[in-house]
Amino acid sequence: MTVPAASMVSPASAALVHGVGDRALTWIDAHRDHFRLTPEDRATGSAMIERLKPIGELAVNMQVLFREGVAGSRQRTRAGQLLDFTWRELLDGGNVLAALQHDEPHSPVPLEVYAHFHELGHRHPGLEAALEAARRTTTWTTLEMVPNRRLGVLNAERKLGLAPSADFDQALERTWLGQLPEPWTVQLHIAYDITHTVFHLTDWGEAPDRIPPAIADYLSRYLPAWMEDWAELEHWDLLGELLIVDACLPRPTLDARLWQRYAAAQAANGAMPIHHAMPQGDAAEVFDQVHHPTLVAAFASAMATSRVLSGDAR
Amino acid sequence: MAEQTQGAVALSAVIADAATGVALALQGGGDPYALSRILRQDDPLAPAAVRVLGADALAPYALEHRAAPGGADDEAVVRQTLAAYPPGADASAVSAWSYRGLVEASHAYLPVGDQPWPRPPKAGSDWIGTDPWPKLAHRVSQLAALALPGLAADLADQLAARTDDLARGFVRAVRRRDWLQAAGVGRWLARLPDVPPTLGLDAGLAFVRQMGGADPRVALHVVAARRFHGRGW
Repeated sequence: MTVPAASMVSPASAALVHGVGDRALTWIDAHRDHFRLTPEDRATGSAMIERLKPIGELAVNMQVLFREGVAGSRQRTRAGQLLDFTWRELLDGGNVLAALQHDEPHSPVPLEVYAHFHELGHRHPGLEAALEAARRTTTWTTLEMVPNRRLGVLNAERKLGLAPSADFDQALERTWLGQLPEPWTVQLHIAYDITHTVFHLTDWGEAPDRIPPAIADYLSRYLPAWMEDWAELEHWDLLGELLIVDACLPRPTLDARLWQRYAAAQAANGAMPIHHAMPQGDAAEVFDQVHHPTLVAAFASAMATSRVLSGDAR
Repeated sequence: MAEQTQGAVALSAVIADAATGVALALQGGGDPYALSRILRQDDPLAPAAVRVLGADALAPYALEHRAAPGGADDEAVVRQTLAAYPPGADASAVSAWSYRGLVEASHAYLPVGDQPWPRPPKAGSDWIGTDPWPKLAHRVSQLAALALPGLAADLADQLAARTDDLARGFVRAVRRRDWLQAAGVGRWLARLPDVPPTLGLDAGLAFVRQMGGADPRVALHVVAARRFHGRGW
């Protein structure tokens, strides 16, 4: 059975959806130096893990733009340049990841970041050897982590062409979304668990058809309610992630009204606030707060533009 | 202004008491139900309270064996209400439908006396097909009393086509902690035939009652969903 889409919803125009991503990418490009690790970051492993997170996010989001190609050749070029910048300058050709693996030999973080670059053709044999040694341990398969994170590790292994360290379907079943619980219990953290499960399940939107029909039906039914609510709460970071999930569904709503509100929240320079309005403060503080929602905006825009252009909306 | 505010407060209190009385009767507690027992006929606010409760004022009569047939006193207060608050030509759909619900309930549950009951007025239903889901859910929650069995059959048929939209409305209402809306939409969902099992309506109604049941109208909707449609626990 297919779920009727939310009724009386009109899809957004390509110009509206594309504009959000174009502005976001301009901001990201203009602020790329803020992603750099400082010598102090590199001195301590734990600080480095913390600072590596935005770099990993930059990588995955630029990879989506590069892949979707719907943003036009100019944007694809910029996304490609940012990926090169990330690999060569932020990650020192993978040496930063190898150093981190050396510090924490069984951390899955370097694998998760490396997977994107490996797919783009970059290689770091030393890191691969370290990962191979780590992956042969029982610890690797038993590291305690939340279920949707486990999907992320499995997806990274899949991207690298490695044998999976666990059964993907079983791992999916262990997630919140995999159990299809009562949709009215969803709160902020559960909502992020849902979006991340979908990101890993679909390999960041590349394979939306990997969403099992029961989960696709469930999301088609209840996602509109969550999007509506977090739009009213002006939680733009989460709304952006939910809009990505929408764009991964067999029949996305691409709701024009929600996209208009989302676009209206974006600052003139392309930054997207996390919640309500843009934060005030010095450039570094503002960067720390808005880089994630702005990367999400670029991701959501690329996915949704792709779906709008292929006329998939209901 | 102060008088109006005081009047509104007094009316809310009368409605709350009456809703509590109806809910108790639906749960099978106390003496056989009589509307005239929970709303004194000489209370000047009684007709307004009946107008707000709509068909729910007569809900216990929809139960078999639980109530003595409505008596002359009940009939009098309902007739008074119908005469005092007819929906005007420009009345909202909610107002027209809730009035219609009271008329239908009078036909269904009160004895025909010497005087016939007015015919159910026409109420527009275009909105069922055209409202975006958040607006639809809000309106439907305001018409929760019409979810009584046997009433508004055509409304129920048309709403069945929008079950998923109402499920979305239930989720949103719970998220917003709008318990009255959640209870009203949940009560309608309890009547509809194909509610998606993933909604978890039974646990949802219980949750709404737990969180919002201090409002007697919330409790009434949840009790009615349980009593008439077997949903919730």
